[in-house]
Amino acid sequence: MKLSISPNVHLVEPGDFEATDHWYPRVLNSSIHPLVAYFLNLSNHQIQERYCRLNPRADAEAVAKLLAYQPTYFRWSGTDLMHVTNHEGNRKLTVIETNSCPSGQKSMPILEMNAEKGGYKRLIETTFKPMVDAHKEPGALAVIYDKNPMENVGYAATIADIFEEDVYLAKFDERDGDPPAVFRNEKLYVKGTDGEWVEIRAAFRYVTQNPWNRIVKNSRTLLLNPIEACLAGGRNKEVASIAYEHFNKRFVEKGLSIFTPVTYRGVTYKGLEKSFADLGGSMVIKVPDSNAGQGVYTIISESELTQALSELDAEAPNPYIVQQLIASNFIEGTDPSKNWYHVGTLPDTKGRSYAFDIRMMMHATEDGMRPLAAYSRRARIPLNQPIPDGMDSWDMYGTNLSIKGEDGWTYADERLMLFDVRNFGLLGLGLDELIQGFMQSVMAVYAIDQHAIKLFEPTLIQMTHE
Amino acid sequence: MSDMINNILIVEDDVVFCKMLTRFLIKNGYSVSDAQSAKGAYSLLEGASFDLAILDYRLPDESGIAILKRIKTKDPETKVILITRFSNDEVAEEARQAGADAFVSKPIDPKELMLQIKTM
Repeated sequence: MKLSISPNVHLVEPGDFEATDHWYPRVLNSSIHPLVAYFLNLSNHQIQERYCRLNPRADAEAVAKLLAYQPTYFRWSGTDLMHVTNHEGNRKLTVIETNSCPSGQKSMPILEMNAEKGGYKRLIETTFKPMVDAHKEPGALAVIYDKNPMENVGYAATIADIFEEDVYLAKFDERDGDPPAVFRNEKLYVKGTDGEWVEIRAAFRYVTQNPWNRIVKNSRTLLLNPIEACLAGGRNKEVASIAYEHFNKRFVEKGLSIFTPVTYRGVTYKGLEKSFADLGGSMVIKVPDSNAGQGVYTIISESELTQALSELDAEAPNPYIVQQLIASNFIEGTDPSKNWYHVGTLPDTKGRSYAFDIRMMMHATEDGMRPLAAYSRRARIPLNQPIPDGMDSWDMYGTNLSIKGEDGWTYADERLMLFDVRNFGLLGLGLDELIQGFMQSVMAVYAIDQHAIKLFEPTLIQMTHE
Repeated sequence: MSDMINNILIVEDDVVFCKMLTRFLIKNGYSVSDAQSAKGAYSLLEGASFDLAILDYRLPDESGIAILKRIKTKDPETKVILITRFSNDEVAEEARQAGADAFVSKPIDPKELMLQIKTM
């Protein structure tokens, strides 16, 4: 490795991968839960068969086609799901959001103990490399990123090893007045050793903060993922909701649907109070293009609504998205058929059960869509006890671990729940939930990718299920 | 490893540079602390002494020269390597006058830097 060949650019060389640099120590010392390993090794045919046993109305052929789908834009993703139940005890995995630059490798126990690079290698070898090999452009290879250096150095080192060439690792920060990366004529260039601009043929992209401000559409540099994936819902919750709605209309006859909490799109600042009332006195407000837990407000009282309104921008150019809150405990006095509740973690010896989410990372391979990594995050305080003084509903329902300003090297706190021997059982999930969650993720990615095609390449003929 | 140098302080605002160099030196047997600003460096210097400080010349809050001066005032025995992208004679002279033991230009190859540390 050559450190700092130019400001915020490092040259990563073959042989630079060091496992201890790219996993949390706790993860390196963990063993994957056998059930999770079994899930990751299921063939897509097995997943299809099982999914159809679990969902008798699902059309087997449509499920098979979804699993075999080759996305045009959205080839690597991470879906956040929650395990919920209703008043009749019917459990589901609900989609909270789908990310186009998902973290997760550093939190995933290694599937095969002798495969040193784990999921980093699987993603680069089976998704990125085939794309690059088929993309005939001159130039070098790069990783561009604006957060999560622990994983991005890992990706750069893996790319260097697999391609046997040096990789430019460039921090492409939104606030950088003199960024070391630039697009010219739809081609990415990264600043080299002598200040020259180095042409890039393909780049692994982990740029999350308003990436559309500096990454172009129709990039001639191959990008995993391209910006179109973000614009079609991979980074905007409002657009994703539209994509899911289109999917559900299209696939209703096939017995397939993306399950999300009740969602109101295009809610103005003035309309937030009405949404609160319509949803029975609780809701989640989301700034559509926020991420990492920023810009998300859980509301369960008038005082929390007042607080959120004081923090939100009344003149925001884009309206808000409002979703039904997944509740902690049974809600009296509302239509029971509409409410969903967190199943929560298994109670600990003190009886505490916590809300948690599941990050399901997946990628498109020659064999179709495949699960790649998964982990869970739990909320700070239990679901089944009153909220203590000085805390609010975010402490009960918020599961995101990100802290603004986190540099990505920080050791994960106690709320990270690995899918390892010690932690996975505490989630109360089984193989069927993993399959259901994976299929929800597949459908979400399909929906967003099809939406991207509709927005950016409407003449492209895609597979249909009609 | 040099008998003289065990504890190293790295001060560099590029977090990847800082962490990768830190981890490289730890793997090679050194005890390393790191900071991304002069303020962070001063906080570490209050509670510990170091055999070697590797300082970036340009930091967001102060220059590496200011930290160098403070280190040499506190403990003249502490070796200091100043690293910079601006390797002109003027900066080199400024570093030398402030007491820098070595002056290294970016980019940095961690293996080459370690060889230099071993000779100090």
